[in-house]
Amino acid sequence: MGKIVILLGIVGPGLITANIDNDAGGIATYSMAGAQTGYRLLWILLPITVALIMVQEMSARMGIVTGKGLADLIRERYGLRITFYSLFFLIIADLGNTMAEFAGIASAGEIFGISKYLSVPVCSLLVWLLITKGNYKIIERVFLIGCTVYLSYIISGFIISPSWLEVAKSMVVPNVSELTSADMPIVVGLIGTSITPWMQFYIQSAVAEKGISTKHLLYSKIDVIVGCFFMFVVTLFIIICCAATLHDVGIVITDAKDAALSLAPLAGKYSSVLFGIGLFNASIFAAALLPLATSYYVCEGLGWESGVDKSFAEAPNFFTIFTTLIVVSAITVLIPNINLFNILIWSQVINGILIPLILLYIIHLCSDTSIMGEYTNSLVYNLISYGIVLLMFIANSFLTFFEFSKYFL
Amino acid sequence: MSVFEQFPEITIHFSKIFGTPIFTKHGKRIGKLNDFFVDYEEVYPTVIALQYKRNGLHFSIPWEEVKRFNFKKIIINDKTKAIQSKLYQNKAPPRKITNILSGHFVKKSGPFPPLGQIVLDRQIVDTHGKKVVRVNDIEFIKVGQNIKVTHAGIGLRSLIRRLGFEPIVDSIIRLIRPKAKYLTRDVLINWKYVHTIADRSVHNNVKLNLSNQDLKSLHPADLADILEDLDGHSRELIFNELEPEMAAKTLSEIDPDMQVSFIKKEAPEDVAKIIENMGPDEAADVLNELDDARAGAIISNIEDPETGEEIQELLEYKEDTAGGLMSTEVFAVSPDTKVSDIMKIIKDNHEEFESIYDLYIVDDNEILLGTCSLYKILIQNENLFVGEIMTKQHIISLGPSVHWKKLSMKMSKYNLINMPIVDSNNKLLGIVSVDDVLPWLLNER
Repeated sequence: MGKIVILLGIVGPGLITANIDNDAGGIATYSMAGAQTGYRLLWILLPITVALIMVQEMSARMGIVTGKGLADLIRERYGLRITFYSLFFLIIADLGNTMAEFAGIASAGEIFGISKYLSVPVCSLLVWLLITKGNYKIIERVFLIGCTVYLSYIISGFIISPSWLEVAKSMVVPNVSELTSADMPIVVGLIGTSITPWMQFYIQSAVAEKGISTKHLLYSKIDVIVGCFFMFVVTLFIIICCAATLHDVGIVITDAKDAALSLAPLAGKYSSVLFGIGLFNASIFAAALLPLATSYYVCEGLGWESGVDKSFAEAPNFFTIFTTLIVVSAITVLIPNINLFNILIWSQVINGILIPLILLYIIHLCSDTSIMGEYTNSLVYNLISYGIVLLMFIANSFLTFFEFSKYFL
Repeated sequence: MSVFEQFPEITIHFSKIFGTPIFTKHGKRIGKLNDFFVDYEEVYPTVIALQYKRNGLHFSIPWEEVKRFNFKKIIINDKTKAIQSKLYQNKAPPRKITNILSGHFVKKSGPFPPLGQIVLDRQIVDTHGKKVVRVNDIEFIKVGQNIKVTHAGIGLRSLIRRLGFEPIVDSIIRLIRPKAKYLTRDVLINWKYVHTIADRSVHNNVKLNLSNQDLKSLHPADLADILEDLDGHSRELIFNELEPEMAAKTLSEIDPDMQVSFIKKEAPEDVAKIIENMGPDEAADVLNELDDARAGAIISNIEDPETGEEIQELLEYKEDTAGGLMSTEVFAVSPDTKVSDIMKIIKDNHEEFESIYDLYIVDDNEILLGTCSLYKILIQNENLFVGEIMTKQHIISLGPSVHWKKLSMKMSKYNLINMPIVDSNNKLLGIVSVDDVLPWLLNER
């Protein structure tokens, strides 16, 4: 019993971080993957999940062993200059991502016939109030409840009831021979959206903030693994839902809203509604966490006061960064006829350049015995990690290339 | 000939002098300035050696060998023998002066790390401003033929200077607002208030012997805030060094959610020493957060059996009820105590009571008979018995299971500083004072 209590105290960072992975952009990618390729690409999800677990585990382990955030460690190890430029590009990437989340809120509202001029301002205010007025415990609890809403995708999956045997087979057996060149943007999209730079900062700070002792490293690993597995299941179900309905009839979709709307005539009103709720939840969830995580790590790295439990006078930079991200994103999304495509591409490009770099920092820090002591990475672990970096680098280069070619050619 | 020829500036910033090329008198370039070794024993440490980097290796040269020192170049004697090491071994005899940083390097025989490595970009405690800050830059001053460390820069200006944007940002701001405070002021911490925290990597290099004298003189509430802002490793270094009494006072001020992490790793007998020094109510709050086995182990290590028993009893109550909040250290006397004796009790035992403003009169079975304020005691004839002057009617008291909200409403209604807590037989169990309820009202719990 006592052990369960300890576990519950430690659960949170890993589960929340992995779930945010399924944000507005992620859901769009998965829906398109399902609609365009059916079950064919399901086997890619398992290796992605393993890679995600390994990266998240390293960040969480560093947070527990050092009690410091990733930005703290980067600053202490590599100095101010590197920290500053990394943070500068991270802010830009995160601003782009936050806009994508608000765009997600807008389209989720439109599924239910709510104008974005209503949904976006109301949601940004809600998010802002939650973070500025709530304390850390309440915020974490709200986020954990948010995680359960992802179950709506699993429910939709059961309503649609695809052929489970086929699903299981395509999930385990890699189907490389059937890969076509048209699949490539989706493949790299799946990989590219799975591991993002800001997630690593968030999970490490959240773990460090909890003050978990190294004795409970195992519980934290369980948290990470359970979180990533849950993310895997949700991703799987989004793809399954779209594959079993849209792909079979050959409907082409371009975003998550399309997916939800196209589901109604094929799979019934409930699936459509559940998809809408899922998209809304994922978007607002990420729209709250992204600006929060960003202001945390920027303040950490530059040595400014931070914390949701502090007042504006105590931590002015923290609240300014946070508020600016939300306000700028919300307003940009509301500009009539705005083409968000540009912004999204550029934030994707910056993300793609940053993630291999941030992963290299993480691996390098995690291999430093003067920082990690007895919890330093083993050689094998490092080799696999470098493999992941290479994979991320290649995937993101291709992703950038595809996005650009769509735009220019 | 002065070392500082062609060097009119008085202050030197680490960020600006960093990377200055070093030449011999014959003009042979030997490397770039990387860091400084200073005499940590001084209040304002003097630079005793320079560290330079060449082909990725670290070398040090004593300050006496430096012939010229300015922003353009540093010239050293031709025959100087540079020592290849990341640390520096001081040959000068140890001096008697001690200061904050020196405490870290008490073991004088050992080599020590350079200044920048342990201060720059790291967290330090500003013992004057009482907070944890990150150092952006270090300021030196020319004194005679030497340079000394004077300040740690933590403000925006030092941040921008480190990044190399100072000239650009300065000229832009001068254009827009020539009188901006930014141009003339930087947030600096006087070196005498800088308390560095040895971190793991430094630990590996040098055996540090920590002294936290400057931290011990802080108010426990301030120290608690500082500890909350630090990472677990630094926290332990400082907290484990505190005397049990100071540790107890500090622990009482720590955010309840974090308290456990402070005593998680310590042996039960060490925790017991800290717990003993806390008020039983605060001790019970801390133990409440631990699992039963651990709490039991700590309680069994408490030396005074009475304290242990009190804490054990308090643990039975829920923490958001009067019983969980109350303190058992009550100023209670029997009715046949003389007023003059009470004054004596206060003089001798005031430290044991949570509050002396209200006096509780109980019989031999600890049944509450009446209350009496300190005010009344002070103005009454010393020869009277307290039983004669106490208030017997309308004594406001509550049971231990009352919720804190109801408790605070009652205290507010009757303007009480202390609320006596009694059981169903009117036996006095303890008191809840205003400051026990305040954190709940302010939503800090």
